[in-house]
Amino acid sequence: MIIAERKPIAEITRALAPYKNVLVAGCGTCVAVCWAGGEKEVGVLASQLRLARGAEGSQISIMETTVERQCEKEMVTDLKDRMAEVDAVLSLACGAGVQTMAEIFDDKPVFPAVNTTFIGRPEREGMWVEMCGACGDCYLDRTGGVCPVVRCAKGLMNGPCGGTRKGGKCEIDPDKDCAWVLIYRRLEKQNRLDLMREYCAPKNFRAVKRPGRVQAGKA
Amino acid sequence: MSMKGTIVAFCCQHSGYPAADLAGKLGLGSPEALRIIRVPCAGRVDVIHMLRAFEKGASAVAVLGCEEGACHHITGNTRAKERVEQCSMLLKEIGIDGRRVVMFRLSPNAPRKFVDVTNEIEMAAESQGRQDDNR
Amino acid sequence: MEVRAGVFLCNCGGALKNIDFDAVASEMAGIPGVASVHVSSDLCLAPARDRMISCIREENLNRVVVAACSPELTEYPLRRTVQSAGLNGHMLSMANIREQCSWAHEGDVTGKAVELVKMAISRARLLQPVEEVEVGVERSVLVVGGGFAAVNVGLLLAAAGLRITLVESTGTSGSDGQELGSIHGFDIGSLVTAAERDQNIEVLTSARVVTVEGAIGDFTVTISREGKNMARKYGAIVLATGSRIELALATDSDSSAEYQGIGGTNVVSQDQLVERLSRPASGVKPATLAFMVDFADESTRFSTLATLGNALAVRKVWDSEVYVFCRDVKVDSQGAERLYREARDRGVVFVKCPAAPRITSDNGRVMVEAKDVLLGEDITVACDLLVAEAVLYPDPATAALGSVLGVRLDEKGFYQENNVHLYPVASERKGVFFVGTCRGQSDVGRVMNDISSVVINIKDLLSSGKIMVESERVKVDSEKCVACLTCIRVCPHAAIELRGTEGGKEKAVVSDLGCHACGICVAICPAKAIEFQDYRDDQILAQIEAVG
Repeated sequence: MIIAERKPIAEITRALAPYKNVLVAGCGTCVAVCWAGGEKEVGVLASQLRLARGAEGSQISIMETTVERQCEKEMVTDLKDRMAEVDAVLSLACGAGVQTMAEIFDDKPVFPAVNTTFIGRPEREGMWVEMCGACGDCYLDRTGGVCPVVRCAKGLMNGPCGGTRKGGKCEIDPDKDCAWVLIYRRLEKQNRLDLMREYCAPKNFRAVKRPGRVQAGKA
Repeated sequence: MSMKGTIVAFCCQHSGYPAADLAGKLGLGSPEALRIIRVPCAGRVDVIHMLRAFEKGASAVAVLGCEEGACHHITGNTRAKERVEQCSMLLKEIGIDGRRVVMFRLSPNAPRKFVDVTNEIEMAAESQGRQDDNR
Repeated sequence: MEVRAGVFLCNCGGALKNIDFDAVASEMAGIPGVASVHVSSDLCLAPARDRMISCIREENLNRVVVAACSPELTEYPLRRTVQSAGLNGHMLSMANIREQCSWAHEGDVTGKAVELVKMAISRARLLQPVEEVEVGVERSVLVVGGGFAAVNVGLLLAAAGLRITLVESTGTSGSDGQELGSIHGFDIGSLVTAAERDQNIEVLTSARVVTVEGAIGDFTVTISREGKNMARKYGAIVLATGSRIELALATDSDSSAEYQGIGGTNVVSQDQLVERLSRPASGVKPATLAFMVDFADESTRFSTLATLGNALAVRKVWDSEVYVFCRDVKVDSQGAERLYREARDRGVVFVKCPAAPRITSDNGRVMVEAKDVLLGEDITVACDLLVAEAVLYPDPATAALGSVLGVRLDEKGFYQENNVHLYPVASERKGVFFVGTCRGQSDVGRVMNDISSVVINIKDLLSSGKIMVESERVKVDSEKCVACLTCIRVCPHAAIELRGTEGGKEKAVVSDLGCHACGICVAICPAKAIEFQDYRDDQILAQIEAVG
């Protein structure tokens, strides 16, 4: 799922400085699960903002809400009735959600409260790691299910680089496992090491047009 | 920021709450500004509860849970400690002294520790209040 | 529905003199939702309780706020009082104006009392009822293990009319019999036979527990045997998987080499000693014998008891000189003091040493060098036979089985009791118990207590086939649940599972039976999907709002 991380508070308070009536909107999907922008985080951030304003001697009126999925236009549109009093929106959703809010409520400034970082999964409680780079040209079939685009520091298609440290750690970042060691071990276990002898052509990054577009049902 | 002087203390029913009862029974003096909220486990207390207490004007917030390794629900007191630390950081971020939120661990039969700890919190809050006023 | 709260103030027989009760009562009258205010002097006594019941009925109250002594003392009886008035017991909210207000401070505390009652009223407005329902439980118990503790528990529970399954991983039961037979006169063989013959007991050897789901009263266990899996239902599970004993041949690496060099036949275990004692006079009788008791593991009782018993046996059968080397003799097991005195009367010499003795060999004899605390000197004893210290370790399967059952281990790797003093045979998962050496308990007398304790617990629980349980006190809203598995991973009591809901999707479901109502899952749920009656977020926040 999409992993995000709250922005430094100074960025948020600076963005909201001119506004007195703010809607703080969370999202109940990805960002809720990675503890960045769900209902809980909305409550905590709203409380912090009120305390911060109070400490400065000024006021802020905050409306708190959480949309089940902020990237769904219908769900965001449901908030229309509450927007009359609002002069700015702080969205805790990922970029897709922030932009949906900004489009539906195009007369109000919409600020992001989180930085959308990567596609990943939980490694242990409270920690999420990047798994997929959304490169648009997946060949996890050839690497035994380990992605070298994100998990190899050099993004090598035909690794290893030869600089792997002792213990199978990356030459660049010794805290990381060398992705190609992981790939080797996985293919070894499955008796498919011959795949490593196949040359893999460089990725055509232009194959992914930005912004990407997918139409279901087309060949 | 005006701090009214109240200390909101979340006390778990296996440690802080009975310790507070025992302190009262023995006539040991704890701060009058204390407002105790009973919880089944310190692990029930979340960051939002602590922050809302500050919004209501509390000058300090305390979470009282079981001693290390003695939590009846195993991990409750550890989680509470993590959340107190998180709250402390959130306060510091917005310029409020992070020491205003604290976690203490004690046994249910430790009334003197309860009294010492709560009096200490009150004194610390007072001196922090004076510091804030001088700013 | 309109909130109608009755506020009952108790002045504890007039003793709470630093609270002006009239002032408090008059402050209450203006608060929205308060239907009536009553001042009493003894809410703990029957007449006042009866008056409360009448008030609840006559005034049509749907909330009861009591400001009195600590809820630790009175919450439970007051809930019953409220219940008997026809109102759900959870519609009660309390303010502690005695221990935490009147008694805690000098001078007038009326202001604080008013605030505490207001906090309780704010909470009361948001209370919801929790019903108690009767739930059927399986009248069957799974006992994992095949040794002394397991078989005893099985027999006693079967006698109570419960269906028992004994699951033993090896091919036979009763493998720990020898020591117990020799020291305490238990005949494990006949116990095993009794279990095999008992109609209420099913003995499955060469079997393993693979998965455990569900909660107390309703566990679903998968047992694997000879390549086949079978699913069974049980109301309770008892782990009696035992331990293993290793000889502490050396407490430091230097002397272990010495030990090895001495020669196998001169260094024996208690078991081997007993075996030799029971053989008719063949081989040379050792003229001098030494026991090592508690240098590697000071908390053992097994080694102490075995030593005392066997030392006496050696004096009787071989008439050898017997020396017992120990840090101290722990005689807190039943009968141990008597054995110690008898051993000393019979001429067994106890040498108390501050550190482990040095063991060497000389001419086929074992030399034990130690500092004798009482003499203040080093002594050396030349012996023909050395009985090494036996140390208890967890059975190798303990960790794996613990994780299948969702129960924890202590720092030595034995099963961790829920509370060492109060609940020594219960785990943190309701319905899962441990007995015997698998929880590090090596004192047979105490193991017998463990067994009785578990048997009483389980009989109480399962005999009637029904138990009362609070229904949905902690409940996951399946609409809000995103199945992130956080609560399932975090619950310390293994009370939450993923289950298919009406919509077809799998969501987290809290077991009413297994839940300990701690609220840890409630606080951590990222989607705020779990509601915990009496300690809901809004109920806690309402108390905070009422402060100041």
